[in-house]
Amino acid sequence: MRRSLRLAAQYVLVVVAAFVLNFGLPRLAPGDPADYLAPPDSAGVLTEDERRDILSRYELDGSTGEQFGAYVRNLGRGDLGVSIRTGEPVRDVVLDRLGWTLLLVGTAVVLATAIGVTLGFAGGWRRGSKRDIGLLTTVLAVDALPAFFVGLMLLLVFSVELDWFPVYGAISPGELGSWAAMRDAATRLVLPVATLTLAGAGSTFLVARSAMVTELQEDYVFMARAKGLTERAVRRHARRNALLPVSTAALLGFSTLISAATVVESIFSYPGLGSLAFDSVVARDYPVLQAVFVLLALIAIAANLLNDLLYPVFDPRVRAAGSAA
Amino acid sequence: MNVRSGWRRLTRPTRVVAAIGALLLAMVILAAVFAPLLAEHPPNRTSGAPYLRPSAEHWLGTDDLGRDLWAQLVHGARVSLTVGLAAAVIATVVGTTVALVAGYRGGLIDAVLMRITDLVLSLPFLVLVLVFATFFGRGTTVTIVLIAGVLWARPARLLRSQVLKVRELDHVVSAATMGATTPRILARHVLPRLAPLLSSQFVRAASVAVVVQSGVAFLGLGDPGRVSWGATLFFANNASAILTDAWRWWIVPPGVALCVLIVGLAFVGYAVEEWADPRLRTGGPRPGVRRRLDPEPPRPAAEEARLEIRGLTVRYGAGPDPVTAVDDIDLVVGRGRVLGVVGESGSGKSSLVLAVTGMLRPPGQVVKGQIMMGDTDLRRLGREGLTRRRGRDLALVPQAAMGLLDPTVPVHDQVAESARLVRERRPAAARATEVLDLVGIPTARHRAFPHELSGGMRQRVVIAMAIANDPVLLIADEPTTGLDVVTEAAILRLLQRLRDDLDLDVLLISHDLPLVTAIADDLAIMYGGRIVERGAVAAILDHPEHPYTRTLLQAFPPLDGPRRLPQPIPGDAPDLALVGAGCPFAGRCPEVVDVCREQHPDLLGRDEHRVACHVESVS
Repeated sequence: MRRSLRLAAQYVLVVVAAFVLNFGLPRLAPGDPADYLAPPDSAGVLTEDERRDILSRYELDGSTGEQFGAYVRNLGRGDLGVSIRTGEPVRDVVLDRLGWTLLLVGTAVVLATAIGVTLGFAGGWRRGSKRDIGLLTTVLAVDALPAFFVGLMLLLVFSVELDWFPVYGAISPGELGSWAAMRDAATRLVLPVATLTLAGAGSTFLVARSAMVTELQEDYVFMARAKGLTERAVRRHARRNALLPVSTAALLGFSTLISAATVVESIFSYPGLGSLAFDSVVARDYPVLQAVFVLLALIAIAANLLNDLLYPVFDPRVRAAGSAA
Repeated sequence: MNVRSGWRRLTRPTRVVAAIGALLLAMVILAAVFAPLLAEHPPNRTSGAPYLRPSAEHWLGTDDLGRDLWAQLVHGARVSLTVGLAAAVIATVVGTTVALVAGYRGGLIDAVLMRITDLVLSLPFLVLVLVFATFFGRGTTVTIVLIAGVLWARPARLLRSQVLKVRELDHVVSAATMGATTPRILARHVLPRLAPLLSSQFVRAASVAVVVQSGVAFLGLGDPGRVSWGATLFFANNASAILTDAWRWWIVPPGVALCVLIVGLAFVGYAVEEWADPRLRTGGPRPGVRRRLDPEPPRPAAEEARLEIRGLTVRYGAGPDPVTAVDDIDLVVGRGRVLGVVGESGSGKSSLVLAVTGMLRPPGQVVKGQIMMGDTDLRRLGREGLTRRRGRDLALVPQAAMGLLDPTVPVHDQVAESARLVRERRPAAARATEVLDLVGIPTARHRAFPHELSGGMRQRVVIAMAIANDPVLLIADEPTTGLDVVTEAAILRLLQRLRDDLDLDVLLISHDLPLVTAIADDLAIMYGGRIVERGAVAAILDHPEHPYTRTLLQAFPPLDGPRRLPQPIPGDAPDLALVGAGCPFAGRCPEVVDVCREQHPDLLGRDEHRVACHVESVS
């Protein structure tokens, strides 16, 4: 009980900190949106009055304190403001993109974890064997490739040269909700998901392999053999324990892949939060940038929270320590 | 530890990987160092017409601004190397410090540090770097600091989990109990265990830094003053090089160069991890060792013997200088009797246990001898055959270490798992309850996890697992080491009771002579891999003949009789690698004569008492 209360308090703090940072960071960047709409060197296009008008429309003319007050008030109302670039309500723009990013990153995390854990445990179990070294070097090499280069190459090979997949987008224009539309969306998901999976599986593999190697040194593995268990049963014990660090790594992988998605979505012109963030950085579209930023942070914090909640389920020792503390 | 011996310690495939990695890294480093010599054109100024195809003048052609692509390729190596190494060093140092402080101190400091770490991890990495890059400028130094400022969190989080585990290890706990200072514990016990994860995290940090730098540059937000591989790709992508055949010289070379650097880093890092990891020396399969069996068929054990060991020899390492841990020993566990084997650490008694139970792992191997149970030679059963005997009619109770039980499984399930080897699920669970009662675990504690039980309780559970399938022979290897005196006595009483009630024969191994004589019927004294004296307990206690047995008896205070100070044994336990032809005890023996150093004494005498000594013999 006390453990959950403390966890809750900690997470409230993190979320508040994320909101404050979220407010502050975009404002640290030089220039304001008016500069973007009318760069200073093209003087005469915008009069001082017009500038002030623009700034006041987006509530950017007050002191930082006033701006923060407005930010909190609007946040409370669920009003995220209006996009400076397009003029649409930010909430609609962001929610429109959120689903695509969750679909993209979620699929990639599941695939990357499954592949990484399976191969990592197999390698760590027979550490130093030909199979282990082969797997390891392959994974080290593939994992090392930068996601944007992998993405570019996949695009080049499968879309441009072979023409198996469309070059960009998540859906074709036209009717939604039909069977054909879903198939179309799935087809367009293949290359970005493949890119992200390749980017994420390696770190899970390394953690899983290392965890397996570590567990195999433990006394309980010796005992399991001593009491006459088959190697299969021994491996089951080691796997169970090795899953502890792996679960942490898998959920941390979520944040990493969300970052990687920024670049990958840009390459494949995939309409997710990542490409939206990039476009907004370039355009200094504060309201959109803030919303994207806070959403991505919340997703990652949720993944961490899940890790904290699940860890005691896997590890009885932490369960005991938590209830005693 | 010099580099040469480190290199030799690596397995052959690892050396290949390391060599490939070093080669790849060397290519990038050479390109970076000799960039001005390798490229005659400047990387970031126009030196020809735009969109030139590769030619003798421009090896890789030119980009949309007429800049030489070959020059961009070799100069890009400088940017990537600088950013990668600098950011990795900063991130690893910060991350390790946070992990050590948080994991070791625990409490509020841990909570606060981990929440900060989570916050940094939660923030979308690339977006953060992008936003900062627009504010602080796009200089290379700024990029390094930004990347390191985000990168430290991942090693911190992962290393902290490891610190938490290491902190609970037996020897770390005992070092802390014995008053070692925290920095000393961290440096001596914790950091070495972190080394593998640390080195792999360092390499990851370096390659992530390289990837992020190129990613930022690829998005068009790199250092405008210096052309990097990412920036080349940015211009290529902007100019839609992917849709023309210009991708061949515009996109592929910088991309491949990036991969060469990162793959090189990853391979070298892997080799460093293997090199830094002491586990390598014991783990991992070695070149297969063929079992060498005596050509003649095994002679069945004597009728009155439960276990008969003949000429058992165990060696470690097959190379030019193998270490003989067990040297041609004969032992008998009689039916209805307890045999105690006593020896200091390094006497070879643990190797004896591993050999008998078939748990010896390479580089250790049994090179000679028979291990007879009835008319079966355990050595001839092979690994699978022995696995089937272990936990059934042959049971092992190892040293009472913290971690003998799987921390994630309730003890009842672990005992049931043993019982399950010969039963269905339900009877196995019932049997588990039965044996846990038998060893004295209160019913309310059957569902407990190992960490919820005391050391004595845990050892009782281990004994319960051992007797679950009605073994005829119980091998107990230092079963009470690590327990307090009261618990030790209780465990001994339990072993005695089980032996009487279950008709068990026991092979008890210990360094503790008084403890062994308290329950053993027969005694064997081991020294330097050999039996120096054996016989009935009473015979040996009444007339200890071997000088080693006598010093051993004086090293422990007598259980009764007048109190006197125990006498330490002069000298050190023998280094098994150095035992030569003579008596292994010669170097420490008070009665040593010349022949002791030249010739090994045979074990002579009658069955109830034998001694291997040139000076003393059984009277």
